[in-house]
Amino acid sequence: MKIVVAVKAVAALDEEVELVDGDTAVDPDGLEWDLNEWDTFSLEEALNLRDAAGDGEVVAVTVGDEEAQDSLLACLAKGADRGVRVWDDALAGADPLAVARVVAAAIEREQPDLVLCGVQSSDAVNGATGVAIAAHLGLPHVAVVKGLQHDAGVATVERELEGGLVEVLRVRLPALLTIQTGINEPRYATLRAIKQARDKPLDELDLGDLDLDEATVSAAAGARVRRLRHPEKGEGAQMLDGSPAEVAARIADIVKERLSG
Amino acid sequence: MARDPKYDVLFEPIRIGPKTLKNRFYQVPHCIGAGSEKPGMQAYHRAMKAEGGWGACCTEYCSIHPESDDTSRVSARIWDEGDVRNLAAMTERLHHYGALAGIELWYGGPHAPCMESRATPRGPSQIPSDFEINIHPRYADKDDILELQKMYVDAAIRARDAGFDIVYVYGAHAYLPFQFLSPYYNKRSDEYGGSFENRARFWRETLIAVREAVGDDCAIASRFAVDHLFGPVSIEVGEDGARFVEYCDDLVDLWDFTVGDIAEWGQNAGPSRFFEENHEKPYTGQIKAGNHTNKPVVGVGRITNPDTMVAIINSGQFDIIGAARPSISDPFLPRKIEEGRPDDIRECIGCNQCISRWEIGGPPMVCTQNATAGEEYRRGWHPEKFSRAANAEKGVLVVGAGPAGMECAMVLGKREMSAVHLVEAGKEIGGCVNWISQLGHSDGKENLFRGTARGLGEWARIKNYRQIQLDKLRNVEVHLNSRLSAQDVLEYGAEIVIIATGCSFATDGLNPATHEPIPGADTTLDWQLTPEEVVSGTKTIGERVLVLENEGYFMGATIAQKLAGQGKQVHLVTQAGDIAGYMEYTLEAPMLHRDLHRLGVDIHTHTMLERVEPGACHAYNVWDTGHKDVFEIDTVVLCTQRISDDALYREVKADKARLEQEGIEAVYVIGDASAPRMIVDSVFDGHRLAREIDSPNPAMPLPFIRERRLWGDSSNDDFEGQLQSTPDVLPLSQLGEGIPA
Repeated sequence: MKIVVAVKAVAALDEEVELVDGDTAVDPDGLEWDLNEWDTFSLEEALNLRDAAGDGEVVAVTVGDEEAQDSLLACLAKGADRGVRVWDDALAGADPLAVARVVAAAIEREQPDLVLCGVQSSDAVNGATGVAIAAHLGLPHVAVVKGLQHDAGVATVERELEGGLVEVLRVRLPALLTIQTGINEPRYATLRAIKQARDKPLDELDLGDLDLDEATVSAAAGARVRRLRHPEKGEGAQMLDGSPAEVAARIADIVKERLSG
Repeated sequence: MARDPKYDVLFEPIRIGPKTLKNRFYQVPHCIGAGSEKPGMQAYHRAMKAEGGWGACCTEYCSIHPESDDTSRVSARIWDEGDVRNLAAMTERLHHYGALAGIELWYGGPHAPCMESRATPRGPSQIPSDFEINIHPRYADKDDILELQKMYVDAAIRARDAGFDIVYVYGAHAYLPFQFLSPYYNKRSDEYGGSFENRARFWRETLIAVREAVGDDCAIASRFAVDHLFGPVSIEVGEDGARFVEYCDDLVDLWDFTVGDIAEWGQNAGPSRFFEENHEKPYTGQIKAGNHTNKPVVGVGRITNPDTMVAIINSGQFDIIGAARPSISDPFLPRKIEEGRPDDIRECIGCNQCISRWEIGGPPMVCTQNATAGEEYRRGWHPEKFSRAANAEKGVLVVGAGPAGMECAMVLGKREMSAVHLVEAGKEIGGCVNWISQLGHSDGKENLFRGTARGLGEWARIKNYRQIQLDKLRNVEVHLNSRLSAQDVLEYGAEIVIIATGCSFATDGLNPATHEPIPGADTTLDWQLTPEEVVSGTKTIGERVLVLENEGYFMGATIAQKLAGQGKQVHLVTQAGDIAGYMEYTLEAPMLHRDLHRLGVDIHTHTMLERVEPGACHAYNVWDTGHKDVFEIDTVVLCTQRISDDALYREVKADKARLEQEGIEAVYVIGDASAPRMIVDSVFDGHRLAREIDSPNPAMPLPFIRERRLWGDSSNDDFEGQLQSTPDVLPLSQLGEGIPA
């Protein structure tokens, strides 16, 4: 069973960010990069399916510059068999739909039985790339999957709906699924596996290798960023001092003031 | 990042007599075990706080004369020119960082047993100390009073010569000036006893004399317990407490307020299990609120939260935030606020381990949160600076994320090891802290005195601080829910393996009293429990419970407290002369005793179990073994001793050839997995190994500088000569001019 997992290196979100390029982009200087949390779950699901099948291959594909290399290596360390990193300077600032066009081209070369993506990325939070890849490839897709079983070319998947309702669907492979966190318990790589990952095959491709060009990718894009801004600061917090009863009474007064105002 | 403007008020300078305090962070006098005999420890420890932004740092109580000798507890001393020279090392280093240096001039009266000096303490009346054993003072007549006041003046002049900026006349904790003030101590009928003015006369005259001697050069401070907490027989804040402040307000440049005395000074240095942050406010807060002073006021209450500090100043409770324990736990607390990173503050957990070692008399201070406390000079450790390890290219596996493992992995991360994996079998890091921090509660009702049994929740800060730091370290990975076998460890690919798998309570009653298991003891049975099982709630506990407490620290008594709080009928049995003896040193014992008594726990000391059987525990008196007793019980909890969970360590290190084949260069064991100990010592063990991971033999601690007199050699320049690790703390001569003052 051959599975492609599309992954993304995301900016670690614990630092404050600076805006550049007329407030249309985040300054990449000093950002730290991690493998997107959702992708650790989709990768784990792929590894489990491969291992259950007893043979096959898991290929991790990403679009990103050299900063994305470590995230791809992290996938190889955890057990992916091969990595593919696509980059071209023309892809800087590409939106999810443009990225999906590129990933779809990379996946076409692989002809997998199944494509897994994370539901979304933790930094940009579009939730669009996965389903857009399916559209480009003409594959059936199921989004926000929280349970997955595979048997003889048919996947039985569970989606969680509002109110805890579970929707069960069956989808014939090849197909694309976007995987929700919590579906499994992602493994981690030992130090030895991390060292050995450097010896696994990792292809680095540009647009030409995928028979794409800048115009094709641009045509696939759906949006451009006009402006980013930090949220405006609200009024300063007010510190209340006193016994719990006094503080409670004061809070009640403030709420009444605001309600009547 | 810059500091949040809401904290600006904490950084406003304030005038103290002839001196200016650069901000509102003030390390009040507190003991560390250095005194004047360990000048390196004294200077480097205090100055670490100055480097970290504290505006002033004081000595501990500093004896003014051999008549005030607290041996074996370590005070500072300013008896002669030698002490001036040794304490000047502290003032020089503090001044380098722009901090003021304070000295707390102390005469103990009957509270100072003078066991080294063999002198006779003097006091206002001939009544023995209420906590020392059989120490009577000599009645101080008027000639004596003049001599005592001259001792203060001579000491103050020496203090000025040593470079001190703030000179205290120390009366709090019921030392000599307070003994004159309080009718509990003072039974005189002359002009130094009786009326308020007469009782206050000694203190007032002493302040006048000291001010006259050094007041132009130094700020004059006084530390005063505004309430002795003894009720009407002594000083109460609403009576003579406030009155005294008004009476002497013209003579001081700074008031340092506390509560209580030395006999139960846990009312002041309140442990977190009974006292919340800023717990002295109901007393010390009354002085400024009642407009009893026009002078700056510093006060304490284990204040660790910057928002609490702001509220204290803005509400007018104090002008200056005083700290002892929070400054030990985080010497860089002010700078972390200044730099806009308050989440890096290492908050004091209020365990009072720092106090315990001083109370024992002799050992240096320790800190659960800050393993470098007291180690600044003798090991060259800095709480915030970590040299890159010489073997940083190695990969390290740390197995077990309890106190030792968390600390070790964090410090290895800060020492820039290329990869550190901290692997934990449980679902979160923290180890024993996770269940211990759920203890310490009883029935939630008000205690007999001041505090409440609020529990050990603040001990979770041991984990919380390290969790935040580990999250920030890119070279450290933390993996949970992963129990490693020896095979897993061997094949992990780490060059250095560190086992920190903790310990468990003995299940068969093995104990330090008999050195044998107790017949019938077996916690695999459903009516016998280990302490962990009491917390986890996996077994039903009957109405009649016996808790066997052989450890001498908090566990047995804490389990008894919890079960009695649930309404159980509890026998607490120990072979020792008192339950939880170590809690005397942590100052937790008095409040614990109040709670156990209130809850009706039946305490049996000097008692040991000879046999356990369903429904009954058979006991004997340890001094008269023929004296037997039988306790009818439903459930037994065994807190006898702990045993290292070291099977993984033994198995991993067993096959030397295999280790070599797998590329493992070293296997170490730390913390409880090495030998069960207190959390403070587990944290130290993890820290020590990480600090010395690149030493010739990391398993063996490097020698530390011992501040001792070398026979026939007067040299004190031993910092570089003796320190064998690479110090992260430098001597003054190497610090240069570049340090912000």
